[in-house]
Amino acid sequence: MRYLDLDIKTINEKLKTKEIKPIDLVNEAFKRIEETDLNCFITLNKEEAIKQALELEKKEVDNILFGIPIAIKDNIITKSLKTTAASHILDDFIPVYDATVISKIKEKNMIIIGKTNMDEFAMGSTGETSYFGNTLNPWDKSLVPGGSSSGSASCVAARITPLSLGTDTGGSIRQPSSFCGLVGLKPTYGRVSRYGIIAFASSLDQVGPITRNVYENALLLNVISGYDKNDLTSSKEQVKDYTSLIGQDISNLKIAVPNYYMSDTIDKTVRQAVLNVIDLLKEKGCQIDYIDIDYLEYAIPLYQVIALGEASSNLARYDGVRYGLKVDNFKNIDELYKNTRTEGFGNEVKRRIMIGSYILSGENANIYYYKALKVRKAMTDSFKECLAKYDLIIGPTNTDVAYKLGTKQDDALKSFYDDLLTIPVNMAGLPALSLPVGFKNKLPIGMHIIGNYFEEDKIYQLASFIEKELNLDLNIKEVK
Amino acid sequence: MKPTIGIEVHVELKSMAKVFSLSKNNFNDEENTNINVIDLGYPGVLPRLNKGVIDDALKACLALNFNINRLMHFDRKNYFYPDLPKGYQITQQDTPIGYDGYVEIENKKIYLERMHIEEDTCKSLHTTDTLLNFNRAGVPLLEIVTKPCISSGKEAVEYLEKLRETLLYLGISDVKIEEGSMRCDVNVSVSDTDELGTKVEVKNIGSISNVGVAIDYEIQRQEELLANGEVIIEQTRRFDDKTKTTILMRYKETGNDYRYFPEPDIPYVYIDDEWIEQIKKEMPVLTDELKDKYIKLGINNNNIKTIIANKEICNFFETVVDDVNPNIAANLLTGDILSYLNKHFIKLEESKLTKDNFIKLVELLDKKTISSKQCKEVINILLDTGKDVLDIVKENKMEQISDNSLVLDIVTKVINANPDSVKDFKEGKDRAVKYLMGQVMKESKGQVNPGLANQVLIEELKKL
Repeated sequence: MRYLDLDIKTINEKLKTKEIKPIDLVNEAFKRIEETDLNCFITLNKEEAIKQALELEKKEVDNILFGIPIAIKDNIITKSLKTTAASHILDDFIPVYDATVISKIKEKNMIIIGKTNMDEFAMGSTGETSYFGNTLNPWDKSLVPGGSSSGSASCVAARITPLSLGTDTGGSIRQPSSFCGLVGLKPTYGRVSRYGIIAFASSLDQVGPITRNVYENALLLNVISGYDKNDLTSSKEQVKDYTSLIGQDISNLKIAVPNYYMSDTIDKTVRQAVLNVIDLLKEKGCQIDYIDIDYLEYAIPLYQVIALGEASSNLARYDGVRYGLKVDNFKNIDELYKNTRTEGFGNEVKRRIMIGSYILSGENANIYYYKALKVRKAMTDSFKECLAKYDLIIGPTNTDVAYKLGTKQDDALKSFYDDLLTIPVNMAGLPALSLPVGFKNKLPIGMHIIGNYFEEDKIYQLASFIEKELNLDLNIKEVK
Repeated sequence: MKPTIGIEVHVELKSMAKVFSLSKNNFNDEENTNINVIDLGYPGVLPRLNKGVIDDALKACLALNFNINRLMHFDRKNYFYPDLPKGYQITQQDTPIGYDGYVEIENKKIYLERMHIEEDTCKSLHTTDTLLNFNRAGVPLLEIVTKPCISSGKEAVEYLEKLRETLLYLGISDVKIEEGSMRCDVNVSVSDTDELGTKVEVKNIGSISNVGVAIDYEIQRQEELLANGEVIIEQTRRFDDKTKTTILMRYKETGNDYRYFPEPDIPYVYIDDEWIEQIKKEMPVLTDELKDKYIKLGINNNNIKTIIANKEICNFFETVVDDVNPNIAANLLTGDILSYLNKHFIKLEESKLTKDNFIKLVELLDKKTISSKQCKEVINILLDTGKDVLDIVKENKMEQISDNSLVLDIVTKVINANPDSVKDFKEGKDRAVKYLMGQVMKESKGQVNPGLANQVLIEELKKL
């Protein structure tokens, strides 16, 4: 019996009736890690997970996620468990505190199986910038799993854990979820605390759940959401039960489709999959209109200016002085910085720090950074205008499905284009979800559902309807 | 030639917690004990914002006549230095909490360009290795920058003393330049034309008076250079306390690039009317107001200066000023009491002086029950032991005899015992009175009221 293939509700029942114990789930998860060999973990939490599972046998099953194995992206700080952000510069870093989301997960007695592989400092969209080697896509090991939450997607797709946490700065949850046939949500900026998330771009970063289905995604969002006094950018907006609208009638939803999201830049099959959904929704009685949102075409330059500017500052702390890698070969403090950072950071990270530093230097700050903030504001206003009239916005998550490993490595710019449709959402701080809606050459296609601020419940409402109607088989028969 | 001077002052606020974390704000505790992951710039941490620091800054804004930036934010100042844990300092570049303020010194307004909130760095300790003390990392600072409107060392000193006094009375900083809770950097330029001259920065000045010395030295140095036709290069110099001169540290590199941008981890802060009104209610009485009050009470200028310069004396004075003769009280506090404190290196609040005892003491003196000489003695005993003033006076038999008949008894006794002196008096020898007074004092063991005794003695002598 493969218990980890069961839905969480069923697992929960079996835990309650003591048909299975948490340790059975933990053992199965570690067995699958060995079987699948996807390089989706940087650090396994085996000893601690087993210990915790055994301790849980003495406790009452008090919530639906009790005893459920979870995988955590390795840029989320875990106390006493190595946290590397997939970088050489932190490859021996053992934190002394827990990120707020980790505390919340621990309160629910979920079991952390390990820390997942990712693009270094979440910079990349293929998983290939990891210091620990690339993660494989369980649908086809010759393909990228997407990134930067590569391992978090890969391990859920391979059914190693039923759910995982990722982070999303420009698409890093939604794109790998799309490439791996999963449900991935980037919550509203401020919905989930960023305290303990190794910062990439502070005004864009957000933690979110990656799961096999919509309901379980909402379950995990319920756990991690909420105001945190340790994160001034977190919101005091009341946390909802995000499962509450699942199964509710969707026929009166008003839905917008940005023309930009259905342009020729997007692969035809991908577009067709979205069109099929649109037909389905129209049939159901939803109002669907094609609309324009201003400045979407500037998403990538905006990202390069704002995200990389912030990143160049956020990554300044890795200097070899207090923690992390410190080289031996230095004669003075400048050499310590230079040699540590030269050795510790990979090429993509260096490239982004350089671009970010350049953008903020002297007069460039006005030419690029402050101008970008204005465009960002204008784009956000345009989104707001649209969402004042419509409940949700839909389109594809990505321009295409997963591609071959190694194809975009040599082109620094091209990899940004994976995030063409996802970046605008981060810029506006809106919540958005990627949902599998079809296949191209047996590879999953992701659809994007963007909601208004703090209306994740409505996103789940639509997503669960589509999920149920399409009833796709997203189980991978055999990882090869 | 015309000198132009601007001053940048950093003051450490004495808030309970640091500005962006909950660590205790106390640099002086054992090294690296008042620290947490935020102060150390650990991966994943985010700043908090101590509202008390903004309250303190608002008090300073009101006291220094600043306009307040109602919608303010923080910025990151990026540079690499071992004492800077995050690789950036959180400061306020675009929206300083205060702008366009001023301070009044004698006969002049010193215009202030801006005041902003920022975090202190950690403290480097250079031994064989460089050691870092993070107790200071994240301690709140206010940076106060004048416009280039100061024209001499004397004005600079007056400004800094006024600034120090104001911040001290606000109760927001210790403002001790010797201990680093107040730091002054000055910019001095001299020009022989209408245009501004080349800026020279002087750092590391260890006292307010030395700021004046450094400025005057620098003005003279630059004037001489210009007179000799030399060109002044933009540079940073430090003040050397031993030689009272400034020494070149480095020439300014072309435009330090701090890559400022708005701090994304701290939302904009809106300071509404209600907040400012609340702060206004909490504002203590400041020195200008106190000075006016004391002048009206007739307290002499020297005493006023001493009281204001010693805040704890002033605080104490304020508690008694309405209950007693203010002049006597001021004399005692700035005279015998202050010298006792200084001699014993203690603060007023560490001494055994109570308000109650002090009031009794002033009253005894006011009623001439004790002499000022005796008062000094009482003060010493009082501050040593804390005993009740009336008991001290009784135990030491210091009460003056002011009863007319008692005085007359003593005087008569002395006159009778000294017929020679009486004779001398009648022959017009003045010193006879002095001698007889001495005998009266002796007879009464110094307890007789000298004025009264003198009067009675002369009356009695004249009767003879």
